[in-house]
Amino acid sequence: METLLKVDQIQKYYGNKDNITKAIDGISFEVEEGEFIGIMGASGSGKTTLLNCIATIDNVSSGHIYLNKRDITEIKEKDIAKFRRENLGFIFQDFNLLDTLTIEENIALILTINKISEKEIDKKTIEIAKKLGIEDILNKYPYQVSGGQKQRCASARAIVNSPKIILADEPTGALDSKSARQLLEIMEEMNKKMKATILMVTHDPLSASYCSKILFLKDGKIFNKIERGEKERKQFYNEILDVLALLGGDTRDVR
Amino acid sequence: MLGKLSIRNAKRQAKDYIIYFITVAISVALMFSFNSIAVSEDISDLSTMLKDFSKYITGISVAIILIMAWLINYTMKFMLEKRSKEFGTYQILGLEKKDIANIFTLENMVIGILAFVIGIGLGVFLYQILTSIIMNLFNQPYQIGITFSLEAVGKTAVFFFITFILVLWNCRRKIKKTKVYDLLYAEKKNENNIIKNIKGNAIIFILSLILMIGGLVIANGEVDKINANEKADYIVPAIIMLIIGVFLFYKGITSFLVKRYLDNKSRKYKKNNMFLYRNLTSKINTMTITISITALMFMLIFIGGNIALLYNNMLNNEIEMSFPFEILIQSNDDDFTKYKEYIEENAQVKNMYEYRIYYINNTGIANALKDTNFRNVASYGYDSVLSLTDYNKLREMVGADKIELQDNEVVVNTLKTVKGNVEEYANKSNSLQIADRNMKIKGIEDENIGQVSFNGDYYAIIVPDSLIEEISKEDEIVRNENERLSGKGYIYKLVVETEETTSEEFYEGLEDCMDKEERQVTEVVNGEEITYTIEVEDERVEVKGARTSQTRSMYTIVSFLAFYLALIFVMATATLLAIQQLSDSEKYKYRYDILQKLGMDKKDINKMILKQILFYFAIPMIIPIFIGIPTTLIVSRTVLSAITIEEVIRNIGIIFGIFILVYGIYFIATYIQFDRNIEEKR
Repeated sequence: METLLKVDQIQKYYGNKDNITKAIDGISFEVEEGEFIGIMGASGSGKTTLLNCIATIDNVSSGHIYLNKRDITEIKEKDIAKFRRENLGFIFQDFNLLDTLTIEENIALILTINKISEKEIDKKTIEIAKKLGIEDILNKYPYQVSGGQKQRCASARAIVNSPKIILADEPTGALDSKSARQLLEIMEEMNKKMKATILMVTHDPLSASYCSKILFLKDGKIFNKIERGEKERKQFYNEILDVLALLGGDTRDVR
Repeated sequence: MLGKLSIRNAKRQAKDYIIYFITVAISVALMFSFNSIAVSEDISDLSTMLKDFSKYITGISVAIILIMAWLINYTMKFMLEKRSKEFGTYQILGLEKKDIANIFTLENMVIGILAFVIGIGLGVFLYQILTSIIMNLFNQPYQIGITFSLEAVGKTAVFFFITFILVLWNCRRKIKKTKVYDLLYAEKKNENNIIKNIKGNAIIFILSLILMIGGLVIANGEVDKINANEKADYIVPAIIMLIIGVFLFYKGITSFLVKRYLDNKSRKYKKNNMFLYRNLTSKINTMTITISITALMFMLIFIGGNIALLYNNMLNNEIEMSFPFEILIQSNDDDFTKYKEYIEENAQVKNMYEYRIYYINNTGIANALKDTNFRNVASYGYDSVLSLTDYNKLREMVGADKIELQDNEVVVNTLKTVKGNVEEYANKSNSLQIADRNMKIKGIEDENIGQVSFNGDYYAIIVPDSLIEEISKEDEIVRNENERLSGKGYIYKLVVETEETTSEEFYEGLEDCMDKEERQVTEVVNGEEITYTIEVEDERVEVKGARTSQTRSMYTIVSFLAFYLALIFVMATATLLAIQQLSDSEKYKYRYDILQKLGMDKKDINKMILKQILFYFAIPMIIPIFIGIPTTLIVSRTVLSAITIEEVIRNIGIIFGIFILVYGIYFIATYIQFDRNIEEKR
């Protein structure tokens, strides 16, 4: 497997000279194509900052991030949007769907931004909706469907353009446990059947147990790293809980 | 404490409502400057008619107040909705409803007083400008300087604050009535209610088109009837059809957009259409009424402004047509001495000419005007004739070249507006029977020599001098067909050109020179013979200066008031659109943020914002353009005899230009502020 994403010694500082907060303090890791990687940590551990840096929404203070050997920290401001729409897929905690568009249109939106031909758009949209089991609600508006369906729509939007990597920020954060499970199963399928590389930030051990590899962050550093390998999900879940216990006082943050 | 909070809030709000604030300030400035004009002695001294100006202004102020009240009420309602959460929180924290209402009142009073003070300041300058324009129209010198009328300030303050306080009172009542729950969750309430019944809307759309086109067709037919002096019974139904059509149009246009762009996937997925149209259709659906009212208002401004301009043009043209020379005198005897003495004493004469107009039996030219508004000349039974020498002298006076005629040729000189009709007639039968001689029509001239019943009625036949003698010998002339002929077959005329234009007093003096004759008239009423004396004026005196001054007063009054009303109308409605867009920019910011996260270029986003606001401002304009232009053309047909179609089109251009200018300024201001709101970092 080839290395898709390489994070190399990145740091992110906030504040002024006298009072520096290191949100990320020298993190390095690699993600291989086809991996489903999870990033865990308590609030303030730097996991969202890390995701934002990879998503080109935030800038690093030092270090480099390579996607397919291209240094994304060096991309010029005017090319960022293009890079983002061609390479990245996003799933947000609060769905970020547009109320004025139907579910179908929300999925198609990303394709129109990428200037895909009109015929293609229709075909791709319906295809992905079938795979994610939302073809029945295509003509509904976001406020007419459940949270789980909304997040599946967001997932469809994230993958329909076949991005190099999908970045998911607490995707189950706003869902009840049943919908959360359904969504994670779909993400697992996206990862296994559609070969999507997914990087997911979460603080929920259940969500994390669907990943193939998990990085634990504490105070802006990588604290631990575990891989699922051939283990059963239940077993992996327990392992995650163990690591969280090791993280110390912060376990109170974890469900 | 409460005061501090209020002032801070008012300041923070200022950004979104700056356009509203400026509009209110300018409205106050307009109100103040017009009230100043109304009480100004400089202006009421100009002309007798301008003395009524203040009455009109007070009348119009009522209309202005209604518009202002609408604008202020709408904006305050918006402010209330936007801040419902804040007020809800205050209430949860334990603030009394009364206190919250007080905060809101105080804030708006601060805004209102500030706008008033700035408006008065602006108004002082505006008054100077308007006054100098009026003075210029009347050729009076005017020294620009600061004058300040307390009476005008008082009037403006009364108008403004009564409106303002009434609206505020209404808002206070609303605050006191609403429950905390509604305040906290108001934002969720007006969420999208996107089109559901597309088919129904399509029917509505088609119905609206039928109503509007039908209304126009009926109106057109009614104008024909008015022109033919028949009763026009269906003009009101036609107007009602148009109004209903406008409302339905905006209700139905959503479905049209949806059908055209959203049901067809290849269109929908092209470029960024989808996002834009969805934004738009969701808006229009919830705001049909505002947009329809806006469109109706624009239509009103457009048609009203056009009619005012048409009317003014007509008055102006009439003067130009009637008065090629400063003074026109007509008499049955050739003794003009009294007039000449008076004129030479009271004005500087540039040119003076005496001549005669002859009358002959109807030659048939009058038939050429059968289809025009001048068709009544056909019943006169005579035609007016000028000798070539006299005609050439008149031409010289108005600055035209001499013409020449063979012994058997004539020329017809007509009013510009009927030249075409006479030409058409001459093409069919190009010879005239005058004094038993067959005369060839050499050509049709349209030199303005005063043919609104002075030198002929709308046209006159120019004959070689040799023919005049024969005409004088003619026996069969219908001499007593008209009082003016007095049995002679001709009438004396005197035209005078002066160096400077004359005044109303000059005219009164000249009128006194007229010979008045008392004549006994006997009539049989109910079998009894009654005899009484009447004063007969055998002479007629007309002076351009006096007529111009009256017309100019009319012109000033009509155009200033139309301008005043239209400006406030446009500003108020454009402000509403601006406020709606700007106060919604938070919602839009969220949407545009998502687009940016998904990887849309900033340039594309800016383009989309521009398009969105452009659409939003353009949609209420569709109807005024498509209905306004045809209605103006239809209405103008009632006055077309006096002005040409080019002038009508020019008027539409002027009105439209001014409108677009003011509207455009609001559009640009909205776009800039909207863009800033979207760009703003969280």
